[in-house]
Amino acid sequence: MGSALLAQGITDSLIHIEGVEIVSSRIFIKEQAGIRQTYVDTSVIQNKMSVSLSDLLSENTSVFIKNHGRGALATASFRGTAASHTQVSWNGININSPMAGMVDFSMIPVYIIDKLQLNHGSASIADRSGGIGGSIHMNNEVNWNEKEVFNYVQGVGSYQTLDEFVQFTLGNKKIISKTRMYHNYSKNDYTYINRGIGNIDPVTGEVNNPLDTNSNAEYTRWGLLQELYYRPRANHLLSLKYWGQSADRTIPRPTSYEGPDNSNLNSQQDIDHKVVADWKYYSSYGRVMLRSGYSDKQLDYSQMNRVPGLGLIPAIYSESKQKSLFNTLSYASDLGGDFSVEGVLDVNTHFVSSKDSVSHTGYENQRSEISLFGALRKGFADRVNVNLMLRQDWIDGERVPFIPFLGMDFRLMKEVDLILKGSIARNYHHPSLNDLYWQPGGNPDLLPEDGFSVELGLAYQQKFSDQLFKTEVTVYRTDINNWIVWIPSYQGYWEPRNIQRVLSKGLEYSVQLMGNLSKLQYKLSGSYAYTSAINYGDPLIWSDASDGKQLVYIPEHSGNMLANLSLGAFYFSYQFNGYSERYTTSSNDVTSRDWLYPYFMNDVAIGKHFKLKQLSFSTEFKVYNLFNESYHSILYRPMPGRNYYLTLVFKI
Amino acid sequence: MNDDELWEPEGEMPLSTGGLFIVNEGNFTYGNASLSFYDIEHKEVHHDIFYGINGLPLGDVAHSMAIRDSLGYVVINNSGRIYIIDVRTFEYVGKITGLTSPRYIHFVNDAKAYVTDLYARSIAIVNPQTYEIIGSIPVSNSNSSFFQHSTEQMLQYDKYVYTNCWSYDNQILIIDSEEDRVVDSIEVLKQPNSMVLDRHNSLWVLTDGGFQESPYGYETPGLLRIKAGTRHVEIIHRFEEREKPSELKINGTGDTLYFINNHIFRYMVENASAPELIISSPYSGLAPGGYYALEVDPVTSHLYVADAIDHLQRGNIYRFNSTGEPVDTFSAGITPGAFSFNPDTP
Repeated sequence: MGSALLAQGITDSLIHIEGVEIVSSRIFIKEQAGIRQTYVDTSVIQNKMSVSLSDLLSENTSVFIKNHGRGALATASFRGTAASHTQVSWNGININSPMAGMVDFSMIPVYIIDKLQLNHGSASIADRSGGIGGSIHMNNEVNWNEKEVFNYVQGVGSYQTLDEFVQFTLGNKKIISKTRMYHNYSKNDYTYINRGIGNIDPVTGEVNNPLDTNSNAEYTRWGLLQELYYRPRANHLLSLKYWGQSADRTIPRPTSYEGPDNSNLNSQQDIDHKVVADWKYYSSYGRVMLRSGYSDKQLDYSQMNRVPGLGLIPAIYSESKQKSLFNTLSYASDLGGDFSVEGVLDVNTHFVSSKDSVSHTGYENQRSEISLFGALRKGFADRVNVNLMLRQDWIDGERVPFIPFLGMDFRLMKEVDLILKGSIARNYHHPSLNDLYWQPGGNPDLLPEDGFSVELGLAYQQKFSDQLFKTEVTVYRTDINNWIVWIPSYQGYWEPRNIQRVLSKGLEYSVQLMGNLSKLQYKLSGSYAYTSAINYGDPLIWSDASDGKQLVYIPEHSGNMLANLSLGAFYFSYQFNGYSERYTTSSNDVTSRDWLYPYFMNDVAIGKHFKLKQLSFSTEFKVYNLFNESYHSILYRPMPGRNYYLTLVFKI
Repeated sequence: MNDDELWEPEGEMPLSTGGLFIVNEGNFTYGNASLSFYDIEHKEVHHDIFYGINGLPLGDVAHSMAIRDSLGYVVINNSGRIYIIDVRTFEYVGKITGLTSPRYIHFVNDAKAYVTDLYARSIAIVNPQTYEIIGSIPVSNSNSSFFQHSTEQMLQYDKYVYTNCWSYDNQILIIDSEEDRVVDSIEVLKQPNSMVLDRHNSLWVLTDGGFQESPYGYETPGLLRIKAGTRHVEIIHRFEEREKPSELKINGTGDTLYFINNHIFRYMVENASAPELIISSPYSGLAPGGYYALEVDPVTSHLYVADAIDHLQRGNIYRFNSTGEPVDTFSAGITPGAFSFNPDTP
C-alpha cells in the first residue's frame, strides 16, 4: 500500500465541460514504473453497487471469475493463476482466508467499495508477497466536501431478489462519519432445462429432460460499513473503519441429484468482522503511516441428510474460526532530484481453528508473518523512470527467499504520453494453513510456490479538446515452479504437493474513450486478455496427457466492453463480456457432455434522474443476459437466463 | 448460445457381445461420470457409451455396477439414483431414485435387492423389476460419537447378507435377507474397505486402518479371514504401518485373492504364507496417485488394473494375464473406479 500513499500528492489536470470532467491522469510516475495498474472507473462502481464484486471483476476487468452459480462461490484467476495467487485487501488489510488462501468474491458487495484498484502480476509486490497473479484493493475514501448526505437505494429483481442500501454521512471540515447498511436477499429460483436428469416418457418411451428450478440456492446478507475520519490538522489524518457482514446461503445440490427431497442439503454461514485504524502524517521530511487491523471470520458448513426414524442428521458439520491481526508502519519520502524512497514493515498474525463435529477431524494453528519492504525510485529527465522494490518475508520466524522487482518506464517521445514499460521480478506464495495442516492430508513439508515474471507494456494517452483516449497493452510471462495441487495420495485421501510447473503467458489490452459530443456524454471502455496457462507437470510422476496443456477452467480468450451514454437526465449503458471455451480435463479432451462452450453475455440498462428541490431521485431498469443464452461457468451449474432488475435511488 | 444440439445421441454403438464395463466416477460435483465398455475378445474400448447412446450424462460420481439378467444397474452416488441399462444395447431403460447416497446394489431375488448407503444410516430395499423402493433396513448406531453405520459392499452366504462399514467404523453387519433386518455383527479392524467370499465360505476382509492422527484412531491395516457360518475371525495378517491396501478381489474359482497395496499382490487362500507381489507399480510409494481399482476376470483370471493418473483426465486400464504378464493397455473415462463383467462373455 506504500505506493498508493506516495501517489496521493499527484495532481490531475481537470477540464470541466458541462459538468463532466474529462480527466487525463499522469501515466508517467516513477512509483509506478514498470507496473500495470488499473483503476476501475468510479462510474462503474456506482452503476454496479447492487451486485457482487465477482460480477464487476468478470465484466469490467481482465480477471477471470470461476462462478459456481448465481450467488454462489466465486473465485478469481488473475493472469491464469490459481485463486490463492490473487491477494485481496480491504483498506489496506489482507482479506484472503488464511485457511484456504483465497477470497470468495461473491461475498463482497460492490456497495461497500469507493475505489477499486488492480495491480497486475508482479506489481503486487508493492503490497505484499504471494500475488503471483496480482492483487486487488478495495478502499474507502473520504470526501471532505461531502458533508451531509442521506441516500437510500431499493433494488428489485427477478427470482425474488430484494436489495436495500442505506447510506448517511455526517460531519464537518474536521470529522466525518459515513455509515452504510445493506441487506440482500434472493430466492434465486430460476428455471432451467435439467440436462442432468432423464425421464422416460411412459407412453412414447422417449427420454426427456425436466424443466427444473434452481432450488436450495437462496442467499441473505446483512452488512454494516462504518467509517470515521478525523483531520485535526491539515497534515494529520486519522481514520477508523469497520465492516461487518452476516451471510447465509444454501448450496444447490448437484443438478443430477434424484435422492430424497430432504437429503444432500448443503448450507454455509459466514460471519465477518473487520476493523482497521490508520494514522497518516504528512511533513516535509516525508509521509508516515501507522495502521492496525483485525479480522475475524467464522465459516460454518453443513450437509444434512434424512435418516429414517431420526430426522435430519448432519453428515458434515464443519466450523472454522479465523482471526488475524495486522500492523503496518510505512515511511515514504521525496529526497529531491526526482528521487524517492519508501520503507514498510508489516507484522501480521493469524490464528485458525477448524473442526468437524461429525468426523471429529480438524486442526488449530497459527502463523506469524513479518515483511520488510523497501523501494527506491528515480526519474531521469522526464524520459526514464526506475523502480526498484525489494521485499523480505519471514513466516513463523523462517526466512522466505528474497523478493526483488525491477521496473522501468521510458517516455518514447518528448511531452507525449507514450510510455514503454518493462519489469522483471521474482515472487513467492506461501502455502495456506489448510495446505499445511488440513486433516487428513495437510502437508507440512510444502515449499512456497515460486514465480519468476517478466513483462513489457506500452501505455498511451491523448486528449483531443474534450475527448480523452487511453490505451495500454501488456505482455507477460510468469514461470511458476512448485505450484501446489491437491491430488489423491496412495494413502487414499487428498494431499497437496508441489508438483506442477506452470508457464503462464499472456497479453492484456485495455482501451478507454470518453468525452462529450455536444450534449451527449459518452464513456466507452473495453478490455481483452489472452491467457495461456500451460502445465508442464513433473514428467517423472506424470507421464500423462496433461503435459503441455492449458490448465482447467482458464479461458484462452476473454474480453469485455462497456458503453455509457448520457443525454440530459437520461442515461443508457450496454455491457458485454465473453469467454472462450474452458477445459475441465487436464488433458484438454473435449466431449460434448462436459464441454464448457464459449459464452457471450449482454446486459443493457436505461435510467433517468429527477430532481425536486432538495430531493434527487433516479430510477434504472436493467436487463441481464439480454439474449437469454444458456451458459455455464462450471460444469452442470446452469446460470440464469434473461432477467430483470429495477433500481430506485433517493438522495437528500 | 442454445445448447440443444450438444445433447443429441452420438449414434450407433456396436452391440455388446460380452465384455467388461468400466465405471468411471468422474469428479465430485462435476457431473462427468461415464461408462466405458471393453470388448475383451477384440481388445476394443468404447468410451462414454451411456452418453453416446442416450444423449444423457450418467451423473455425479458413478460408484459401482451390477448386472442381473440382461440389465445393468449403475449406482450413481452423488446423484442419489441407480440408472438401469440394457447391457447389450446400452440403452437407458429406467431408474431407481430417492436414494440418499447409494454405494452398491445386491440382488436377493428377482423382486428384492439391497442398496447400501453412505449417509442414510439405512439400507434401501428396492424392487429391481419395478424400480421402486419397497422398504429400508435401519443400521443406525447411536452408541458411537462417529457417524455410524455407513454401509458398503455386500456378500451373501446362505440367507445372510454381509456388509462392511468402512467410514470411521470397524463392523461387518449381518442381515437376514428373509426378515430384512440386521441380526448380528462382527467386529473387525478399523476401516474394512473391501471383502470377498472364497470357495470354502470364508469371508476375507481387507482393512485400511484409517489415517494417522485420525480422531477415530489408527491401526495398521489387516487382511482377515472370517468363517461365514460361525462368524469367527480365524486369521489376521497385518500390514506395515502407513501401507494402504485396497480393492480385495477373488478369482472365479474362489481360491486366489488379489489386492492393491501400491503394487498388485496375490494370495492363495489355501496357504498361509505372505502375499506375493505379482505386478509392480511404476509409481514409487511416495508418489501421488497410483493404482486406483482392480478387477479379476472370473473366467480367465485376467487382471484389470485402473490408473486414474491425476483424476482430471481419462484414466488408463492395464490388462494382465493371471501370472502378471501385460496383455493390453487402453484408456477409460475420468477416475475409473469399478468394473462389471457382462456374464455373456463368450
